[in-house]
Amino acid sequence: MPRASLAWSVAGLLAAVVLPWYALQEGLDSGVWLSGLWSSEDYASGLGQLLAHGRWWLAPVLLALAASSTVSLLPLERERQGPLLLLASGIGLVLFVAQALGIGLRGWTVDWLNILFGELDARQVGIGAGGALVFIALLSLLSIGLALRGGFGGDAFVAGAVTTVGASIVLFTAWPILRILLQAFQDGDGAFMPALLIDRLAVEKIWSLRCLVGGGRCGVAWNTLFLALACGAGTTALGLAFALIATRTSFAYKKTLRVLTVLPIITPPFVIGLALILVFGRSGLVNQFLEWSMGVPPTRWIYGFQGVFLAQLFAFTPVAFLVLIGVVDGVSPTLEEASQTLRADRWATFSTVSLPLMRPGLANAFLVGFIESIADFGNPIVLGGDYGVLSTEIYFAVVGAQLDYGRAAALALLLLVFALGAFFLQRHVVGTRSYATISGKGDSGLPTPLPDRARRTAQWIALPWAGITLLLYGFAFVGGLVKVWGRDYTPTLDHYAKAFAIERSADGLIWSGAAWNSFWTTVKLAAIAAPLTAALGLLAAWLLVRQRFAGRATLEFATMLSFAVPGTVIGVAYVFAFNVPPIEITGTAMIIVLCFIFRNMPVGVRAGMAAMSQIDRSLDEASLTLRGGAPQTLVYVVLPLLRPAIVGALVYGFVRAVTTVSAVVFLVTAEYELATTYIILRVINGDYGLAIAYSCALIVLMLAVILLIQLAVGERRLGRRAPQIQGGRA
Amino acid sequence: MSVEFRDVVKRYGTATAVAGVSFTVEAGTLVTLLGPSGCGKTTTLRMIAGLELPSEGRILIAGRDVTNLSATQRDVSMVFQSYALFPHMSVLENVCYGLRRSGQNKAEAADRAREGLKQVGLAGFEERQPSELSGGQQQRVAVARALVLKPSVLLFDEPLSNLDARLRRQMREEIRELQQRLGLTVVYVTHDQQEAMAVSDRIIVMNAGRIEQQGGPRDLYERPATPFLARFMGESNPARGSVRRLAPGKVNVRLGEAEIEIADTGAADGEAMVAVRPEAITVEPAPGPTGALSGKIAKASYLGTHMEYSIDTAAGTLFATCPRVERPLSAGTAVAITLAPRGVIIVGQ
Ligand SMILES: Nc1ncnc2c1ncn2[C@@H]1O[C@H](COP(=O)(O)OP(=O)(O)O)[C@@H](O)[C@H]1O
Ligand SMILES: [Mg+2]
Repeated sequence: MPRASLAWSVAGLLAAVVLPWYALQEGLDSGVWLSGLWSSEDYASGLGQLLAHGRWWLAPVLLALAASSTVSLLPLERERQGPLLLLASGIGLVLFVAQALGIGLRGWTVDWLNILFGELDARQVGIGAGGALVFIALLSLLSIGLALRGGFGGDAFVAGAVTTVGASIVLFTAWPILRILLQAFQDGDGAFMPALLIDRLAVEKIWSLRCLVGGGRCGVAWNTLFLALACGAGTTALGLAFALIATRTSFAYKKTLRVLTVLPIITPPFVIGLALILVFGRSGLVNQFLEWSMGVPPTRWIYGFQGVFLAQLFAFTPVAFLVLIGVVDGVSPTLEEASQTLRADRWATFSTVSLPLMRPGLANAFLVGFIESIADFGNPIVLGGDYGVLSTEIYFAVVGAQLDYGRAAALALLLLVFALGAFFLQRHVVGTRSYATISGKGDSGLPTPLPDRARRTAQWIALPWAGITLLLYGFAFVGGLVKVWGRDYTPTLDHYAKAFAIERSADGLIWSGAAWNSFWTTVKLAAIAAPLTAALGLLAAWLLVRQRFAGRATLEFATMLSFAVPGTVIGVAYVFAFNVPPIEITGTAMIIVLCFIFRNMPVGVRAGMAAMSQIDRSLDEASLTLRGGAPQTLVYVVLPLLRPAIVGALVYGFVRAVTTVSAVVFLVTAEYELATTYIILRVINGDYGLAIAYSCALIVLMLAVILLIQLAVGERRLGRRAPQIQGGRA
Repeated sequence: MSVEFRDVVKRYGTATAVAGVSFTVEAGTLVTLLGPSGCGKTTTLRMIAGLELPSEGRILIAGRDVTNLSATQRDVSMVFQSYALFPHMSVLENVCYGLRRSGQNKAEAADRAREGLKQVGLAGFEERQPSELSGGQQQRVAVARALVLKPSVLLFDEPLSNLDARLRRQMREEIRELQQRLGLTVVYVTHDQQEAMAVSDRIIVMNAGRIEQQGGPRDLYERPATPFLARFMGESNPARGSVRRLAPGKVNVRLGEAEIEIADTGAADGEAMVAVRPEAITVEPAPGPTGALSGKIAKASYLGTHMEYSIDTAAGTLFATCPRVERPLSAGTAVAITLAPRGVIIVGQ
């Protein structure tokens, strides 16, 4: 612990002296600040700002930092040191937050401070590297203080991890969402009027039930709910079928199947929609064929519930599969063997032992499918037609002619309530029962093959579905290779050339294709975000499953929050929250990366939690008593057993960063344009060929990355006895 | 190194698992925490390990206050009831684990791990996976894994409960032998009184989160302080009798029509709760010597090494064991019972 104290004290003090306190227009890497650390009002460090530029309010913060450092390094008794450190760093943090929120671009940020202290003639811009690092150092010293007092099992790493995860979620999930939800109660001028919420929500457009009784359309709330329930159930069933086939049968094309289930997830969301339109749309193949063969006039059948539902099934089954495969894999063969020796046949074993053991996984998969569906924006906008859902309503409220942020926020609130309902239902189903099935006792059972009935059912569901998927992809692929779909089917490579041309010139290669800029930006930002997403997600999962601390349930709830809120809302919320000090990062790459991380982390958390609740706790404890501290336990014991979940979290983190649309639409700039937003613009311009060509390139990229991740992380070695080949028996 | 508990309390929410216990484990001794299931043994052990921190009180190891230190910061190793072998590592990797985490290089760690495996008789099993070992072998790997760290305190949580009876005896002898050979300080949790007596220097008997009594195996067996202890430490027959003080150092105990003189344990005159060990009862066909207790055999069973009888008497139904298997008495026989003073214990008022 002294080493950690030393490191954080030094880091904090250095940051206060040799790093610019405020954010720089030029960026830290420009180096222009080096010469102005003391003299320049823009570039000065915290100490410089305080002494040379009269920013007196930094004095108490820096004093508290110095006090914390001193306390943490003095050779004191633990009983004295813990509370003292806690006090000093706690005061420092409170003061830091207070000055950051209280003083903004134009002096005091709120009126009562003006009244209380009079006008303030000073201003401050967003926090920069120095300020941020001082904040982190104070937070770390606080954690060390908590651990010294015996909090978090006396473990500084656990304390630090909890505060880190907690603080980052507060900053980048709770805070922006709170900001936008306040809007639900405010009128156009920002006055607080609670009654407005009722006006905004109690309308027929949201709650009408006319589709059930007497014809007409149902409200968007019901539409959203029906769709989400259907999608949750459908994706869970399909995901289970695929997981069972992949792990428990000798089906010959398992590997192919695995790749196939991953295909939809690495596809930008609107591509499935586009492919469905190419096949079922008005000028799609099916309609053209029916008209040609039987003279049936083209219909708009695909637009509406069926279309969105189909597209969502294709889009989200792979997520369910990723959640379920670790769970199916983790069911202890010994338990199944035990059941078989208890007079249960294979089917009874499957239905009374294996399935119930998978229940946490099933509940998780359903929750994920449900929430994905209500947060989905791409498919409803492409295929919904008259079938409006909440996320599209919000979008139109924000970008449409209405420009009614309050209504958007009110609808977002409703969406949140649905998501939370699902969340609590799921907790109720899984309850507090322990499903630990990877125990520290060597498991010498053999995985039981699936009973025939279950195998046939799984194959009957999964194989046709796989076939249709292939077909859809085939059409989408061909769509990028013909001139104009529906009219001119002449083969061409023009679309690819336009997007990805590289020319050789005297100065070397010129990346002249129209797509390169957004392509490289996407790759770079996704590559930064994915490992951070996975790391933060699995760390949070580990804390939630393995550590007992006050506020655990709150933390779990908070991790799920950004996931439950549709991307559109997150995007707008980020713009609202982060375009003014203290955190001023709108228009930077950082805000996009942060949005990726905090939006995609919850799936990592869920998958990690499901996988971790199957690993016997005594394995962690054994490591702890064998001199493995909490971080070593995580690295050498927990993570190797979590390999499937790590692959899942990394893949998901990368893929979602590449394919997401709704959240980043509001965050991209000309400098940081992303692939999906570029493609959307092409689609809007009717340039389907280029859009599909670009999407295909993205798919290839993501396939390559997934294979890379799988190779790098490797398989989990459980040391179960390998199934013997049953040869040589008479 | 010694372990000391001072008024330690552990609460989970409103439930109290350990309700204020104090004890000391001397360096180089094996002390057993004994008690019925749910009495707080595991919780106590986990607090020594640092896997749980106490709600109140202090814990000292080797004289140093470790109350708020985490498991990793304490020089303590533990053998888990489920063994907790890492399923993704070979036997050697499992045993190396703690050595590597303490900063030894690979070759050094492997050498010491091999030595540790040899000590528990598992040389040659290094490359196996845990799933390829029998229960007893897994147990030994778990012991070796904890042992190679040369911890100042070694903890066992019901280490033998997953083994068969023969293996259990063998393993407990091995553990005791190892502890004495290496001079280890060991805290051992079990609910099995025989196991506790066989391995321990001292036994701490717990009941409902408190310490009932502590002492050497012989102390506890021959001088249990409470009826609970008399019942829990070996078999005993609860009976009511009356006590009368005689010459200094001697008291007279009257059970039904029988009278026995036993050593004075400071009991007051009058009614008392008395525990009678079954092996202290001698059974003969009636009529026996004067002063004997008369009764009738209700049940008789032959167990090879001895006979077991249930006998209805004026002092209640007594359970007796009798080594004379060649002349068994059958149910319904009228008998006379004499009691050996060593097996008659006053356990309360
Ligand atoms: N994590 C926990 N949460 C709540 N109660 C617990 C917990 N661990 C143990 N207990 C309770 O504490 C008591 C003592 O448990 P334990 O120490 O495991 O007993 P044992 O003597 O059988 O090892 C039991 O009543 C048990 O229910
Ligand atoms: Mg126990």
